[in-house]
Amino acid sequence: MSGALTQGLERVPAQVGYLVISDGAVLASSGELQNDEVSAGLLSSLVSAAAGLRLQRGTEPPFKRLSVVFGDHSLLVTVSGQKLFVVKRQNHVQEPLTV
Amino acid sequence: MGCCYSSEGEASEQEEETKRLLEPDPSPPNKALNGAEQSYHNLPSARTDEQAMLSSILAKTAINIIDVSAADSQGMEQHEYMDRARQYSTRLAMLSSSLTHWKKAPALPSLTNQPHQVLASDPVPFADLQQVSRIAAYAFSALSQIRVDAKEELVV
Repeated sequence: MSGALTQGLERVPAQVGYLVISDGAVLASSGELQNDEVSAGLLSSLVSAAAGLRLQRGTEPPFKRLSVVFGDHSLLVTVSGQKLFVVKRQNHVQEPLTV
Repeated sequence: MGCCYSSEGEASEQEEETKRLLEPDPSPPNKALNGAEQSYHNLPSARTDEQAMLSSILAKTAINIIDVSAADSQGMEQHEYMDRARQYSTRLAMLSSSLTHWKKAPALPSLTNQPHQVLASDPVPFADLQQVSRIAAYAFSALSQIRVDAKEELVV
C-alpha cells in the first residue's frame, strides 16, 4: 500500500525525507523524517489550523500547499484524500533573510 | 530573591507542623530549642521517628490498596455472566452514541488530488519570502508603536 503513496514522494527534487499521515497516524516515513511522530503531530495541527482559513466566506481553503521554511531546508505539506503528505526539501543556497 | 524571612516565632511554628507530620503519636514538642539543636538532641529517637513514619505509610497503603487475589469471590453461573455482559454492552452502547457527537474531529479538506506534483513543484520564491517577512516586520513595528496619548483630564 505504501508503495503507491511514497513512490512520487521519493522522486521530489532535493527531498531528504517524507511522511504520509492519516488520522494523526504515520502511514509511511523516510529519510530525515523517519519515524518522526512528533513532527507529524505538529504538522497535522498546523494544517488543521490553516485549513480553517478562508479569504471569503464559503470558498475553498486558499492554498494548495503549506511551506514551513527554515534556514537550509523546508517542510512542504499538502492534503489529498484525507491524508497528509509531508516532504522535507533542501533549500537552494540563498542569502539569509534579513529584514 | 524577593523572599521575606521573618522572626524566629514563625520558624518554630513551622517546626511544630513538621513534627506533627512525622509523629502521629502524641508527644510534647520541644518548644525551647530551634531546629538545628532539636534534631541533634533527638538523635536517639530518630530511628523511632522513621519507624513511625514507615508504619503510617504502610497503614495508609493497606487501607487504599485492594488485594484482588485475597478477595473472596463468589462463583457466578454461566447465565449470570452472560446477563451481566449483555447489561454492560447495552450500557456502553447508550453512552457511546452520545459520545460520537464530539469524537470526530472536523475532516481535513482535500487541497489537491495530485499531492506528489504539488510537493515537487517549485518552492516559494525567495523574493516572496523576503516580502512577507518585511511586511510582517512592518506590522510588528506598527503595533509596538500603538500608545495612549493623554490629552485632557478624564474626570473634570
